[in-house]
Amino acid sequence: MRGPARIAPAAPSAARPATSTRRAWTASVTAAWWLLGLRAPAAQLTGTVDVGVSTVHYDGFLPSGAAALTPVLRWDRPAGTLAASGTYLRFESGHRSLQGLLAGSFFTPPTARAWRGEFAASAGASRYLDFASFWHAVAGARLHILGAERGLWIGGTAGTTSYGTAPRPVIAADVGVWARLSEVTLRLAANHSQVGDTTYTDLESSALAGRGPVALEARLGARVWSRGGGRGVYGEGSATVWVGGRTGVVISGGRYATDPISGSITGRYLSAALRVRSAAPRHSFARYPVAPHARGADGASVLPAARLEVHADRNRAVRLVVRVASAALVEIAGDFTDWQPVSLSSAGASTWEVTLPVPSGVHRIDVRIDGGAWIVPAGTTRAPDDYGGDVGIFVVP
Amino acid sequence: MTLRSLLRAAAAGALAATFGATAAAAQDPRLGRLDPGTRPLVAVVIDSARAAGLPTEPLVQRALEGATKGAPGPLIVSAVQRLAADLGRAREALGPGTTPPELEAGAAALRAGAGPAVLAQLRRARRQTIAVPLAVLTDLVAGGVPVDSAAAAVLALAARARDADLVEFRRSVERDIALGAPPTAATAAAAAAADARISQVNAGARENRPGRP
Repeated sequence: MRGPARIAPAAPSAARPATSTRRAWTASVTAAWWLLGLRAPAAQLTGTVDVGVSTVHYDGFLPSGAAALTPVLRWDRPAGTLAASGTYLRFESGHRSLQGLLAGSFFTPPTARAWRGEFAASAGASRYLDFASFWHAVAGARLHILGAERGLWIGGTAGTTSYGTAPRPVIAADVGVWARLSEVTLRLAANHSQVGDTTYTDLESSALAGRGPVALEARLGARVWSRGGGRGVYGEGSATVWVGGRTGVVISGGRYATDPISGSITGRYLSAALRVRSAAPRHSFARYPVAPHARGADGASVLPAARLEVHADRNRAVRLVVRVASAALVEIAGDFTDWQPVSLSSAGASTWEVTLPVPSGVHRIDVRIDGGAWIVPAGTTRAPDDYGGDVGIFVVP
Repeated sequence: MTLRSLLRAAAAGALAATFGATAAAAQDPRLGRLDPGTRPLVAVVIDSARAAGLPTEPLVQRALEGATKGAPGPLIVSAVQRLAADLGRAREALGPGTTPPELEAGAAALRAGAGPAVLAQLRRARRQTIAVPLAVLTDLVAGGVPVDSAAAAVLALAARARDADLVEFRRSVERDIALGAPPTAATAAAAAAADARISQVNAGARENRPGRP
């Protein structure tokens, strides 16, 4: 199912209900601009607006430059999320493309161990020149099985899509896995879709990485089997760099496949955009669920990464386990060691540990590998340490 | 006031600070790791905090952290002063009987963006120590959960949840966010699950199963 904020420019196809598309897009723009004037009082309603330029080459069309405006409005509720987005493209020729999408998802509370349900729906439309418009409406369900650092899901989607006046049924199934490895979250998925008499199977992978103001995303996929949907390999990448609290620069590019559901056709693109969001986060902390590689606790550049696991015992002895790719010496220092370095013992491949009396409460810790710089281990909450660097925070119950 | 009286007052203050610093340093030999110029200034802050009834151990630890990281003396003094001020604000919000771990966690929560009213509500909602609930609140905010949503979830659980339940709740939220769930929704769902588990505990019917990974 498509996310609410597609990076690629809209395809020059799509869209009837021309009037409804235009209304949805206008409403989206208005709402996003309204949001930009707010300080996001509850931080549950957020908006972004991307203003940028693209060069795009749709298959079967001449290459063209385009100016793009993409407002996105996102409403987080305790039981789920609703997002509305629009894309306005103005090509060199003066022709315009409009695309709008409304998507929502709802996660069920876990009822047994690591199972989790997800229900989602989306509806969208697009329009280009006087071509027949595309619109679609689909709904789906997924079952997630969650592990500590990995998980898998299986799901199905059904709905309808229309090009002009001929609706076609949509049926799709997907299965995927995800894992967190060091700094990167990886996903691998396979999906099989049937849209009318068009059938295709895609394999998709993605990698997400982020640290501080920088977020990177890469996607690589292949349409390995198809009847009427084309085949090939495609890949996209994007980098977002936040400059200040509310403004960022987004660079993206790549090639994406035809999507018979939303009506986008295969194309290559390169985009640069300025992104403005409704409000910066109100907190100064940042969680790093995976190990950082770059800046150490003292601001120095470091190479190795480490992950901390805290195993509290009933007798108040706490076993601290640090997993690091390769090291000859691993030390920790924290407010439970008077900030004196304590060497850990090797406990097998990539595993180092020490057992210390750590009282219940909030604690600060850093890790040093092979006598290098002090770094914040993954598995802790990274917070400013008042000394120009960061410190890891963890809780002992 | 004449120049002479000004000088006399300054000398007296410096003398008091020196004696106070010497006394504090003597009480806590760990401060000997600070350089001679920084040690008395930190000691004065610690003595002031002690006089105000604030816990001094977090201040000592903050200074030692700076020493370990090779921070310049003025930065260490500034960090200790800032923490002392945060601890004071936390005590105002939580009341005079607050334990040192609670004050330390409260200071972190305030710095993360939680309002004093949330701290006071948490104090009223829970009979046991609120150090871990405050830490979980801070952690949720750090994970991108809006302060009001995080506070609502922790407040809802605080009355009945054990510390371990709260830590597990935080882990669930973290993992779901990593999975792609919106922070607010992840918090609400994990809170509902934790609440269900706690209800089972109270009913004496909790399954002996491993916690959510």
